[in-house]
Amino acid sequence: MKIIDLKIYPVIYIFILMFIASSIIIGAAKFTEKNVKMNEKIAIGKSVIQVLPEIYKKNMTNAEIHKVFNEKVKKANIHNTYYYFTENQSYAIPIEGKGFWAPIKGFIGIEQDKKTISGISFYEQNETPGLGAEIMKENFRRQFNGKKLSADGKINFKRKGEKLSEHDIEAITGATQTSTRLEKIINNSIKEWLKNISN
Amino acid sequence: MNGYNHKKILIDGLWTNNPIFCQVLGICSTLAVTNLVLNTLVMCAALIFTVSLSAFSVAALRHFTPKNIRMMVETLIIALYVIIIDILLKAYWPEMSQNLGPYVGLVITNCIVMGRCEACAISNSPKIALLDGFYNALGYTFILFLISSIREILGMGTFAGIPMPFFSTPYWDKWIIMVMPPGAFFVLAMIVWLMRSIQLKKIK
Repeated sequence: MKIIDLKIYPVIYIFILMFIASSIIIGAAKFTEKNVKMNEKIAIGKSVIQVLPEIYKKNMTNAEIHKVFNEKVKKANIHNTYYYFTENQSYAIPIEGKGFWAPIKGFIGIEQDKKTISGISFYEQNETPGLGAEIMKENFRRQFNGKKLSADGKINFKRKGEKLSEHDIEAITGATQTSTRLEKIINNSIKEWLKNISN
Repeated sequence: MNGYNHKKILIDGLWTNNPIFCQVLGICSTLAVTNLVLNTLVMCAALIFTVSLSAFSVAALRHFTPKNIRMMVETLIIALYVIIIDILLKAYWPEMSQNLGPYVGLVITNCIVMGRCEACAISNSPKIALLDGFYNALGYTFILFLISSIREILGMGTFAGIPMPFFSTPYWDKWIIMVMPPGAFFVLAMIVWLMRSIQLKKIK
């Protein structure tokens, strides 16, 4: 009787195959682990320095980002939340919350006067490509630069065509969900930050 | 191996038996990832890799695989290749991995992969299976490329991120619906209609 005719053969067969497949995957994951961790670190570092005024340049290499982030940016722990800041006391405030499909994570930069926004960036999002994912695009993010928080510490999203004041941002057409959620995420984070730094 | 030759497999995969407009397989991903050309191309590259290699592996193992668990074995092999792509993208192209999000993992459930394993690889030699998988994936790629070009140009005024003359100017009112899910249905239906009409005309 050949092994292939045994009743137990399919079980043995799938077991061996599974063993080989898992070994390959575990091997590949181990092999790239360092790279993946480094990518995550760089993504956060890049996001932070993008929102702080005047330290980010276009086309920076990963090594440069790493260097600038380590040298110029300081970390503060206020009420269990980490904020990053520079010597001139501009803050990078973490923003985090539920997007349309998955969490949106990023930073918003606020200058010394605690009112003027110096930039916004995201390092994690999974919004609809072509619609919600447009929040990653320079055109959308640039709108925030120089905008001021309103008296109650807010930034408002307006529809296309509405008149924009210095507290307003034009939302993305066709991505209503992402826009409303992002507005909420930003305003909640700013509220939290204002509360934390005032104590 | 009777009746199989290189040219026939090529024409079958790309045209007479195209996975999108003849077999109508893999429509889910066709609808999901075709609103930006660059994302589409990376997705297609991942699919070409997966289909060819999993068809090859299934064919190579076909004499040892018990018939009653062949589907399980096929899924396992497909998953293996997809996870490898996912890991590689995460490590070496994190931006693209971010853009594609869950879609890479969903290649596992792409009907084309399983379809080709069942229809061809399980009963043919590894060489034929590899070619068959490769050309089928190429047939899928060329239709997806067409769809995504139309959608991105009409919907966003760009092609692979590069602004197009006229379409990116204010004279062109962007068809937002093109980048939204319904746009995919319209464009896909038009393309299937067009391709099928050409095919039927030829047969007559």
